Amino acid sequence: MTAGDPETGPGFPGDRRASGGLGAMSGPPVSRVAFMVTCLGDLFYPEVGVRIVRLLRGLGVTVEFPAGQTCCGMPLFNSGYHADATDVARRTIALFKDAEAVVVPSGSCAFMVKHEYPSLFTDPAERRDADALAAKTWELSQFLVRGLGRTRFRSEIRGRIAYHDSCHLLRGLHESESPRAILRSLEGAEFVELPASDECCGFGGSFSVRLPEVSTAILDRKLKNLEASGADCLVACDAGCLMQMRGGLGRRGSRLRALHLAEVLAPNE
Amino acid sequence: MSEPELATPFRERTGRALGDRFLQQALDIATTKFIVLRREAFENLPEGDRLRDRAREIKEATLQQLDRHLDRLIDEIERRGGHVHFATTAEEARAIVLGIARRTGARTAVKAKSMATEEIHLNEALEAAGVAPIETDLGEYIIQLAHERPSHIIAPAIHKTRGQVAELFARELRRPGLSDDPEILTRVAREELREKFLAADLGITGANFAVAETGSVVLVTNEGNGRMSTSLPRVHIAVMGVEKVIPSMTDLVVFLAILARSATGQRLSVYTTLVQGPKRAAELEGPDEFHLVLLDNGRIPQIAGPLREALSCLRCGACLNVCPVYRQIGGHAYGYTYPGPIGILLTAMLNGPTSVKDLAHASSLCGACADACPVRIDIPRMLVTLRKEVNEQRIAPWTERVAFTILGKVLTRPALYRLARSFGRIAQRPFARDGAIRRVPLAFGEWTRSRDLPAVAPRTFQEQWAELERERAR
Amino acid sequence: MTTRAQFLDRIRAEMGKTRGSFPSRVSERPARPVEAADIIRRQLAERWPDTLERFRTEFERVGGVFHRVATASDIPRAVGAIARERDARDLVAWHAAGIGADVEAGLVSEGLAVRAVSLGATDAERRELRAASATAALGLTGVDLAIAEMGTMVLRSGAGRPRSTSLLPPCHVAVFDPSVLVESLEQAGVFLEAWHAEGGDWGAMINFITGPSRTADIELTLTRGVHGPKEVHAVFVEGGLRG
Repeated sequence: MTAGDPETGPGFPGDRRASGGLGAMSGPPVSRVAFMVTCLGDLFYPEVGVRIVRLLRGLGVTVEFPAGQTCCGMPLFNSGYHADATDVARRTIALFKDAEAVVVPSGSCAFMVKHEYPSLFTDPAERRDADALAAKTWELSQFLVRGLGRTRFRSEIRGRIAYHDSCHLLRGLHESESPRAILRSLEGAEFVELPASDECCGFGGSFSVRLPEVSTAILDRKLKNLEASGADCLVACDAGCLMQMRGGLGRRGSRLRALHLAEVLAPNE
Repeated sequence: MSEPELATPFRERTGRALGDRFLQQALDIATTKFIVLRREAFENLPEGDRLRDRAREIKEATLQQLDRHLDRLIDEIERRGGHVHFATTAEEARAIVLGIARRTGARTAVKAKSMATEEIHLNEALEAAGVAPIETDLGEYIIQLAHERPSHIIAPAIHKTRGQVAELFARELRRPGLSDDPEILTRVAREELREKFLAADLGITGANFAVAETGSVVLVTNEGNGRMSTSLPRVHIAVMGVEKVIPSMTDLVVFLAILARSATGQRLSVYTTLVQGPKRAAELEGPDEFHLVLLDNGRIPQIAGPLREALSCLRCGACLNVCPVYRQIGGHAYGYTYPGPIGILLTAMLNGPTSVKDLAHASSLCGACADACPVRIDIPRMLVTLRKEVNEQRIAPWTERVAFTILGKVLTRPALYRLARSFGRIAQRPFARDGAIRRVPLAFGEWTRSRDLPAVAPRTFQEQWAELERERAR
Repeated sequence: MTTRAQFLDRIRAEMGKTRGSFPSRVSERPARPVEAADIIRRQLAERWPDTLERFRTEFERVGGVFHRVATASDIPRAVGAIARERDARDLVAWHAAGIGADVEAGLVSEGLAVRAVSLGATDAERRELRAASATAALGLTGVDLAIAEMGTMVLRSGAGRPRSTSLLPPCHVAVFDPSVLVESLEQAGVFLEAWHAEGGDWGAMINFITGPSRTADIELTLTRGVHGPKEVHAVFVEGGLRG
């Protein structure tokens, strides 16, 4: 394990305070990571994964991709099917056992691995393995800024970019600064704050199909804020939010785009 | 007791709320305002986080010795000439209050906002027994005149316009041609209720806290109706959940520092009233009798249950205001006494897991509630726990349970995962265009009615990995 | 009916099943609260002007009206002015012991009809007070603590200190001096502990009052004076009360 320890669990029950600051984690730089593509990333947004791999390689990081990946199991966990979720977690933990560090393109999946996995196991050995995976797993923006210490990036995107704080990244992993630092650094693009950027987009996994009308009403609020921001493009660090927001923009025939962070970063160097 | 709203399925109730344009506007304005006021209040309190941690710790520490603190509270109240009653169920609580009303020959009761008496449906019981209950919080009064239920824990009538209130007052209070100026409407309510306060036999209140060491019941209000109800009638009855006890005055001020800030953004509500038993001999005013009804009603089993954390709730309403679901559907759609994220947990506590079969899913698990909660209750975690319980007790529909079991199999077997991927590609063919799906049948139809669905990519990431590996080699 | 023993036994049974969510402790209370309160009072005695300034700012922020007079003999004039501005004549006042100054004669000479509460508590007195309080335009009380942090006044009920004097009349006038000023809610907590430890022949109610009665229940429009007073005045007596 060469990576600095990413942020671990809350110290206090229910403590989901977002932390400020941009301190890079201590420890020697990470040179080798395993990429956890996630189910949505694999099936629907493969181009995001491809860009991440090229971006990381451009930064001198060796990227591995353990075969046989499926999903972190969050859909099962959040709907209360914990035995099934545990089976999925057990598999994922085994797949990434040998990785030095794990990079995940979605805040929610990273949260699942870092915070929910350990809670699923009572067997001490299994719990230890879950804790080990939790400790070496990074959400992408956190990895770039806090793991690699990089805050300057290039982009092919021009115009105004707004950022949507996905719930699990913001309130689960207490991260609001890393993605903003990256976006602010982009030359040729202007970062604008999205009004109420910390409010949910209405996705919520199975919530989006159990209560589709409510889910869409929440999405409407988000898209209204996007329009008010004057941004040309909305960036998020979560495939679930992107699926929801792209789905809404597409249906409205909007010219605005919702993109994953990796899609606005040019692989270089 | 039955809840009238529950005859309609939950999803239909949410649809009705979403279609109510005024409600949508009212919710948006109210919740946004509360969010801003709360944020400003805590920005001005550097020690806010520390106080919240302390408050939560006090609640937990009190629960760990709940018997001892309650014992002390009871002793202190009795020492001051008050009476303490014990209600295991809502029915028992109602019977206790009715017994006191009957013995004291009471005909009218003024009530100061109390979720606990809503929870036990006390008003219906009082009416049936010939005691007229009068809600005195302005919002509650409006709701009572309209024969409705509160839609927010601290702002019960946020779903009503001034015009609707004016019409209601004109009709119910026989004051035709009443202006819709809130100032005038408030004055009318003051006049009407002032008479009731001066004539009432019973004052019935809830309690925000009870301080064990001093035997004090603490009421926090802005209007002064809590003071009226505890100063003017000859009998005061407070109905309170057992979890409201705190050890000392030193603990009390910690809670006071965060309660109003979380609820309304005030540093302190206008009135914080500490009641220590019936009036003393030397006092000219105050009730001759003081009664505290300690309420279980599903709370005690949660001391060691999965909803233990919810016993720390202060009923401030902050989690309602920040909840994206509450902000869209308002309080009535939930169908029970306590709305919003914490309301789902309290409903489960009071009525069992079957009652939250649908409600447990009325959350995107965004965590805004836990973030806003002054005592940092991890509401999302407990919602997930409730969902688990609903599945394990087979309350969830079997179709859903089968679907998730299949999903579990697919996600643990790469071969099945690949098979599902191929199946998806075939199934989406008639619907997909330019990588998006605009309409599909079955469960995903719920998605595509209002949103495009991404199509399974022609080449998934896993299918591209070998190529990416070669790219590196070059 | 559930008995105390049954009720507490059920709680104990549930408590026995769990060790709790996390290690925690309740607040540490002052070991000698009366002395602790005295120490606070002495410390604050030197810097009361700052505390008063903070109180004034916060009190006005919540809608209170602040007045300042030099000595207790100036109180009637200040109250008289408040009454005249409102065209008010009828006033209910706490007993002189509760206010800390005997202002009855002065108020009468200001042209006010004063109903001063006596220390006794007969049934006739009770009925009469209720009637007078319900119709009086002004209620005059003392203050037992003034908390600067939030502009709050704390009033204890007791003999000659009816609860309703600060509640029923549409205008509440409270008289206080440097000795009751504290900076924070936390310090007020020490005084609450001290009052409890001291015991004594007090009434059964303590009220924290932070500005005039208010509601926002109709379209979130802030409206004053829904049940309690529409106006709250604080008259600060720089030279001190109670002798």
